[in-house]
Amino acid sequence: MASVHESLYFNPMMTNGVVHANVFGIKDWVTPYKISVLALLYDMTASKISLPERRRLNKLILPLQQGPDLSLGQFLKTVEECCPQTAYAVKQRLQEMADGELKDMEYFFSTLPTPFTAFDSEAYKTSVVGLFMRHMLLAYNKLSFSQVYKLYKSLQLYYHSHYAKPADGQSSLPALVADDSDMDLTSTEDTVGDRIDREELDTPMHESELRSDNAPSRGPLSQKQAEYFLARQAYLLKNDENKALKPAALQEELNNMLKFNPDFAEAHYLNYLNSMRVQDIFLSAHCLLHYFDRLILSGNEGKSNGDEGYGRSLRYAALNLASLHCRFGHYQQADLALQEAIRIAQESNDHVCLQHCLSWLYTLEQMKGSDSTVLTEDSVKMAAHFCLPYLASLGNQSLVQQGATQGETAHKLMDALKDTDILHWKHSLSELIEISLAQTTSIWRMYGKSTMALQQAQLLLNMSSLEPVNFGVQQNNTEAFAVALCHLAELHAEQGLYCAVSHILQHLKEQFPPHSQHAKLWMLCNLKIQFERHMNEGKYQMAEPLVTAISALNKTEGLYRKAQVLKALNRSTEAYSVLQRLQVHCETTKCTEVVIRVMLSTAELHWESSGFSTALPLLLQALALARKHHLQSLASETILHLAFTQLMLGVPEHALSVLHEAIEPVLAHGSVMDKGRALLLTARCQMAVAGFRLNGKGPADFHLAGLAVDTLNEAAGYFSKLNCKERLRDVHYLHALLHRSLGQTSQCHKSAMLFRLLDQELQSPAPPVSMRL
Amino acid sequence: MKMAALCSEYGDLVQIKKQLMSVISLCKERGLLHSSKWASELASALDRLPKDELPPSPPFTEEDAQDLDALTLAKSYFDLKEYDRAAYFLKGCCSQKAYFLYMYSRYLSGEKKKDDETVDSLGPLEKGQVRNEALRELRVELSKKHNAGELDGFTLYLYGVVLRKLDLLKEAVEVFVEAIHALPLHWGAWLELSNLVTNIEMLKSLSLPDCWIKDFFLAHMYTELQMIKEALQKYQNLIEAGFSKSTYIISQIAVAYHNIRDIDQALALFNELREQDPYRIDNMDTFSNLLYVKSMKPELSYLAHNLVEIDKYRVETCCVIGNYYSLRSQHEKAALYFQRALKLNPRCLGAWTLMGHEYMEMKNTSAAIQAYRHAIEVNKRDYRAWYGLGQTYEILKMPFYCLYYYRKAHQLRPNDSRMLVALGESYEKLSQHSEAKKCYWRAYSVGDVEKMALLKLAKLHEQLNESDDAAQCYMLYIQDIFSCGEQLEHAEVSTALRYLGQYYFKNKLYDEASLCAQRCCDYNDAREEGKALLRQISQVRDQIETPSADLFAPLSNNNTPVRRVSPLNLISFTP
Repeated sequence: MASVHESLYFNPMMTNGVVHANVFGIKDWVTPYKISVLALLYDMTASKISLPERRRLNKLILPLQQGPDLSLGQFLKTVEECCPQTAYAVKQRLQEMADGELKDMEYFFSTLPTPFTAFDSEAYKTSVVGLFMRHMLLAYNKLSFSQVYKLYKSLQLYYHSHYAKPADGQSSLPALVADDSDMDLTSTEDTVGDRIDREELDTPMHESELRSDNAPSRGPLSQKQAEYFLARQAYLLKNDENKALKPAALQEELNNMLKFNPDFAEAHYLNYLNSMRVQDIFLSAHCLLHYFDRLILSGNEGKSNGDEGYGRSLRYAALNLASLHCRFGHYQQADLALQEAIRIAQESNDHVCLQHCLSWLYTLEQMKGSDSTVLTEDSVKMAAHFCLPYLASLGNQSLVQQGATQGETAHKLMDALKDTDILHWKHSLSELIEISLAQTTSIWRMYGKSTMALQQAQLLLNMSSLEPVNFGVQQNNTEAFAVALCHLAELHAEQGLYCAVSHILQHLKEQFPPHSQHAKLWMLCNLKIQFERHMNEGKYQMAEPLVTAISALNKTEGLYRKAQVLKALNRSTEAYSVLQRLQVHCETTKCTEVVIRVMLSTAELHWESSGFSTALPLLLQALALARKHHLQSLASETILHLAFTQLMLGVPEHALSVLHEAIEPVLAHGSVMDKGRALLLTARCQMAVAGFRLNGKGPADFHLAGLAVDTLNEAAGYFSKLNCKERLRDVHYLHALLHRSLGQTSQCHKSAMLFRLLDQELQSPAPPVSMRL
Repeated sequence: MKMAALCSEYGDLVQIKKQLMSVISLCKERGLLHSSKWASELASALDRLPKDELPPSPPFTEEDAQDLDALTLAKSYFDLKEYDRAAYFLKGCCSQKAYFLYMYSRYLSGEKKKDDETVDSLGPLEKGQVRNEALRELRVELSKKHNAGELDGFTLYLYGVVLRKLDLLKEAVEVFVEAIHALPLHWGAWLELSNLVTNIEMLKSLSLPDCWIKDFFLAHMYTELQMIKEALQKYQNLIEAGFSKSTYIISQIAVAYHNIRDIDQALALFNELREQDPYRIDNMDTFSNLLYVKSMKPELSYLAHNLVEIDKYRVETCCVIGNYYSLRSQHEKAALYFQRALKLNPRCLGAWTLMGHEYMEMKNTSAAIQAYRHAIEVNKRDYRAWYGLGQTYEILKMPFYCLYYYRKAHQLRPNDSRMLVALGESYEKLSQHSEAKKCYWRAYSVGDVEKMALLKLAKLHEQLNESDDAAQCYMLYIQDIFSCGEQLEHAEVSTALRYLGQYYFKNKLYDEASLCAQRCCDYNDAREEGKALLRQISQVRDQIETPSADLFAPLSNNNTPVRRVSPLNLISFTP
């Protein structure tokens, strides 16, 4: 009864009532697998093996000794590939032991060559093999009788479970063999992980009572297996989340591991990472603290509260907590935690930790939306001083980002990027190289050089990573990749290549599943593309619901889009108030791009009320701003607006000359929509210059009219690419007019018919010939 | 009242006594020692039965007769802990009793081997792999029988235990409920069930048999779930219904009082318990905690010596000795005894926490953290361990970090002022004044044990120059201190009076100010200031008496804050 209520669980590792955290410090325990390795080594020294086979076996020894425990089947398979004869001998020897008695195993250990006597063999005491053998012999000799007996029992189990397997698990074996057939040394480890995955899938919990009872229990992992598992999963989480176990499965695996080895602190850390994945603040905070509680214990051995002792982990514990809160957007909490980390680091003179804190500090300031340039500069200087290239160039990058948004001159930014790039390549900071490429893409895009942006994005995506490719993970799923891919998608959308866009988005969706950290990037990108498309096609009603979704992801962007929709739906007053609000907001946050866009939109609103002259100063201001910040695409957009205003004000000659300035960059870098609009405008200017009147009087200049027809044709091509029917209708209308005045009746009829068709389809009344750009 | 009704439903106490007697013999036959101990204790609290009313021995079937020899033999082996041997001779027996003993022997044999094997483990690879190998087989066999409906109350209980050991908790709960329905009087099944119930909703959702023993279970459950009021009510009902002599109930009530920190009540009950049952060791660790809190050194020392004489290798004894050493500030020795308690039973929650406290005293923070973490591992709801962790980090000067732990503790004990005060202090250190104020105020509202919350709140207000609020808090503080009657060591009445005096003086309420100043003179540390203030007041009063001062008199009245408590109240709560 007593043992029913309270397990008399007794922990032998416990001394003084405290379980030593690092029971794993003793690494050498004799296991059945190790016995197999010993048998292999023994056979290698005993028998004659041909040279190439011996060479292959020699290459095998180290991974076998240091790798995680393998099942007998895997082990024999590996050996067999190198030397079938030895594999057979090993199997034979194991069989002798397993089918015999305890004394057979004891005999085996007694016949092992003693490393101290065998001077000329490979098993000499200082060799790798000799060291391993000595460890094993020592560990074996330390075992008590009952332990030896247990070892023997487990050896029997190990041997027989391998040979019993085909009887009940016919189906699973071929799969394993198939895996093993193309197995070389590096991928040996890979299959272990896969096997775990498969087991995970194969045995759902409590499927049927009898089956789960018969199925071999999924025992605890050995330390190395556990370490390997953790390292692998952590690596995958960092680099390619999709290949890692699903959050729930990973959680279960970790729970299992922690149940057997509650002292395995690293598992708590992985648990923390896993909880972050599913945005579980509660569990992730819990696991993080638990991890550091554990770490403090293990770090305490023999060291005082100094640099290396647990004082160090305390600092990093606070710092990690700060980063956790930062990640979840709790800036105030993060700030407090960071202050704490800084204080402790200062007290113990830990400059490296302080430096980390500083870089977090400016990140935090940035996230809170305040200007942190000075802090960042300090941080970069200090990092350079303490030889922390990673932090230094990270700081540099963030400076570049701030500079870019605040209108730093382009050549300075590019210089800075180049300098940091040199630093990256020197120190092989592959992660930062990626970020830098993504940043360059963004900067080029911001400056409106789409070709350059495209080239940089492609460069990043096609670059082979500097890091060694582990676990078959080729592509990283870092933020940089997400950013580059999003740019790529948007660039394609600008050119009207929607099929390619959907491919890219599909890839993004797979690579960054919706719950993951960077998913918001592509979500926003996707929404923006859809929105633009609907707006271009004139489906304003369909664009409207997207505004709410965009606002959820990015407030400023959402507000801007809202204004656009309102404008398109002719709700000018509302649109105007939204734009005013937005402008005030953006001017305080120094969001120049949006400010210019807002100005342009406001100008368009003025047009609607025929306030062309009031729009002019606004546009000039926008132009000045765009030029100051080198935002070429926005500058040319502004010029288009200016030209249109001038056209409407009745100075088409000026408009045409202004247009000449913008048409080149637009055609080179602009989106299809921009190109079409620019050409349409040019045509209208040409018509106006040619003295064309709406009342149908013939033009004064036939040459110019001919030019206008060509321009219109080109514009029509662009618009039809985007399925932008409203503008196509305008084009057809102008076409018809031109043809009539030129006396080309048949073409005139054709255009008129096209116009009529589109007009019927669109149903909305045609605006008086385009009061818009 | 309800109990009385229940009694009439189930017959009188005589009936209950009879039921207990029969279940005792049933449990004894099956080697369920703890259940029979519990039932016997309860039975002995009821009146003796006359000879002719003794319950008849259970009917003796043909099957029983068949298995009689095997059963007798096996039972004697079982009693000598030769479980395998007992199981061997019981194999093939068909009576229910023999079957239970057969399965139970196999189960216990597995448990024993597991414990033995842990010592001989083959290193970390095997750590945790050690398990009761018999469990799986037992589960298969029992589930077959269970599906066929062939299990009686005892075997159902065993099935539940097996399921629980296999971590199949949901199934285990179902089976235990079933076992209780089959045999309501078996306390072991109730107890096992209580370990699996995690919250009140779950408790309510269980369908339990309507038996008098259910009240014992509910009372036990309420204590576990920290619903002390309800638990006390239940126990009171039981006592009124006729169980007044039961040592079990007395000890449970004492533990409940301990949990709500009603120390005097709990102490009285424990003293009564020791008089009735002088050789009792159960619950004595709780008793020693109380003595420790009260710093009753001689009593604690007497208790420790007494228990050592009875049995020095009991967990409770070790804890008592640990407390004893701790009270004498011999923390190394105290830690040693807690360690010994943990060697006797590593799942002993209290010892882990207490050891953590000892390490804290020794300034060995990392060992303290480890001990607390272990306590949490054993029981996630141990608020003291969470609180201890928080304190540890506070000592390490990480106020933000310790917030998490205090919050955890507070979550578990929402009405405990100590956690709230600790939270408030941390917030104060982080300059989160509004949160700190909330915490202190809440601590005062839920009944401040240490009477510190108000003082801290007042000081915080003082710091923030919110003089009205500060004055009010000091007021309440003084009121609080005097109303509780006893003299507290760390009371800072003088500080409060000093501040109040200055406050009234500034607000030109000279009568009140002089009253406070006079009171100040009662305290050594504030005497000089009190006198100085009195002098100042008399000076100002002299000026006021000059006619020009009349102009200011109405003004000064208007200036007084509206929220302030009338200072004349002070008289009413002077000691």
